[in-house]
Amino acid sequence: MKFIRTKAVALFLLFFSISPSFAKTEIHWWYGNSGFLGDVIIEIAKRFNESQDDIVVIPTGKGSYEDNLSATIAAYRAGDHPHYTQVYDAGAAIMVAQVKNGVVIGFEEMGEKYGIDVNADNYIPQVKNFYADADGKMIGVPFNSSTCIMYANMDILKKVGVDVPTTYEEFEEIAQKIKDAGYIPLVQSHDPWIWTENFFSRHNLLMTDGNNGFDDVPTKTLFSETPEFITHWTKVKEWHDKGWYAYKGRGWGDNQAPFNAGEAAFWFGSSGSFGGIKDLPINFTTNQIPYWSSITGGKAYPTFIGGAANWILNGHTEEEYAALAKFIKFMGSPEMDLYYHNTTGYTVVTKGGGQLAETINFYRTSPYHKTAPEQLNLEGATIPGGYRAGNWPQIREVIYENFPKILTGELSVEEAMKRTDEGASKLLAQFAKTL
Amino acid sequence: MKKVQFKSKYTQYIFLAPTLIIISIFLYLPIVQTFRDAFTTQDAFGFGRFFAGWDNFKFVLSDPSYLVALKFTFIYIFVITVISCSLGLLLAVQANKVIHGKSAYKTLLIWPYAIAPAVVGVTAQYFFSERFGILYALFNSLWGFDWTANIFDAYIYLFIAGSWKQISANFIFFLAGLQTIQKSVIEASLIDCRSSLRRFWTITFPLLMPTTFFLVIINITYGFFDTFGIIDTTTIGAPSGETKTLVYKAYIDGFRGLDLGAAGAQSIIMMLLVLIITIIQFRYIERRIHYN
Repeated sequence: MKFIRTKAVALFLLFFSISPSFAKTEIHWWYGNSGFLGDVIIEIAKRFNESQDDIVVIPTGKGSYEDNLSATIAAYRAGDHPHYTQVYDAGAAIMVAQVKNGVVIGFEEMGEKYGIDVNADNYIPQVKNFYADADGKMIGVPFNSSTCIMYANMDILKKVGVDVPTTYEEFEEIAQKIKDAGYIPLVQSHDPWIWTENFFSRHNLLMTDGNNGFDDVPTKTLFSETPEFITHWTKVKEWHDKGWYAYKGRGWGDNQAPFNAGEAAFWFGSSGSFGGIKDLPINFTTNQIPYWSSITGGKAYPTFIGGAANWILNGHTEEEYAALAKFIKFMGSPEMDLYYHNTTGYTVVTKGGGQLAETINFYRTSPYHKTAPEQLNLEGATIPGGYRAGNWPQIREVIYENFPKILTGELSVEEAMKRTDEGASKLLAQFAKTL
Repeated sequence: MKKVQFKSKYTQYIFLAPTLIIISIFLYLPIVQTFRDAFTTQDAFGFGRFFAGWDNFKFVLSDPSYLVALKFTFIYIFVITVISCSLGLLLAVQANKVIHGKSAYKTLLIWPYAIAPAVVGVTAQYFFSERFGILYALFNSLWGFDWTANIFDAYIYLFIAGSWKQISANFIFFLAGLQTIQKSVIEASLIDCRSSLRRFWTITFPLLMPTTFFLVIINITYGFFDTFGIIDTTTIGAPSGETKTLVYKAYIDGFRGLDLGAAGAQSIIMMLLVLIITIIQFRYIERRIHYN
């Protein structure tokens, strides 16, 4: 009901804003979240609209991240695009490349012009890097940022009598015991994001040439040239054969289902999944994702963020951008940052939000929210957080086409990596042509 | 016969205009744009556009996953056409014999035809879900069915999902076809031949050929274009890209991957394939069919 009411309010405001006597400045914000996360976005816009009288932000949901990106592009080509749009991690390279074409206005440029204090250092480093250009200038406005974490079913662990592992070595020691007790030891929901992209980051390894695409336009992925990555997937295959790891296809939810049902001990998912599972009748904790201590020498490196940022699109009036700037300021306030963190499980993106959380002792009452920010803020990494590679949505498809064949034994690990690299190189070259 | 003619040379164009405008906007313009996209390279927003010659075609044809999709599309179309035509025919023949409650049978058998492919896909999901799917459980107990890992099993999943709805479509047309066969011909054959099976193959089936020919074309078109919704809601190409049809692949590259050049090239290749198949059908198969 609440959901319907917020929509009604949004509609009501829409009508109001059309009537000339009010002449409010309209800001269109398109987004690619649905369900619970979509409701939160509507709520944010509502709070802003109620906080002042001159501007009305109209949020429009376009479906999934992919849907929103294609809708935004189609609208841009038709000259009917919104002011503000949400684009996900894999689309970051596409959006950053559009600054030079005048499609996207960079966050910092916007800040200078309309007086928003955009200090890149106000953002947590992993977030700041991901949506910045090669010179470190922020382009996207950081918004919903999650990272992959490990959810652990404590009832199963207690029954088996083992602790939550911090490394894959520790996982290997306890996996058989969990299996013997009749449970699935491990499931995970995203081959490309968790066990490829974040694997490299977690072990401080470069994933593409050109310094993950931050120094030069990348020409190839380094999957088959990274022995650590091959070792990892060889292990994964071994685990799969032994029944330590169960693969349920590429669907996010299909892999999460055994964990939700209390059949799996560990699930690797997103910190943004927290809001959706916190009320399930399983006793679980959130933990940092394991790493191979043999690869990193016992040190844990940060993962990078997933999720999305908001991007400012060109072609509207000065007045509207001034209004948008106010909205961006509002969303970037520590209070809103923490509000979003608390409701959804997405991490705080500003240092201000983090400090506010400390001040009010937020994590004492909500310890499970702490995992993702802690993991993201680990120090000592020598590679840039994230990657800047074009055609990435398609490269993820190539991963989906080859990696499952490792598990079925159809391809050797080396062969699967080689084929993925080949497919990725072609796609990267295709993207480079358009720059 | 007196020819009716317009007085002005241009009047007919006014009458044609609405249709022509609609067709040009929704059919010809997109085709022209597809050709333009197929021969250019551009980024997602349409910048950095330059003439690419045959590059996009070379890129697509050298992509191993495109060849996989090509192979799957043909297997898929063939199997679905065979399954849905034969079952549709069988049901139609049986329903035609029923005397009591004929319309009830008919209505029930026609129902699935009204369901959109995406809804068919979601329905199929309920049968093939690992957690609560009846057919998954049945097949799994028989031979360890797992469509997420085994290509053959994923094929079965999609064959069942894809042909189910189509059986209804074929059923209606076959039933209509059966009812156009003249009673006298059937009665004459009853006198000449005792075996009902033989009567069917020598009399009924040949008389149904125009319907069958029409349905084969309809089913091929369905397999090519309408299965998108089913795949997007069921396997999404699982186990590892083997169950993508050409249309689905073009969608993934164009709308998910935002590579309009490659997607445009794929559309043109697909257009040519459908054209070739249709020409073959009309030239070589239709000749052997006798319309009344």
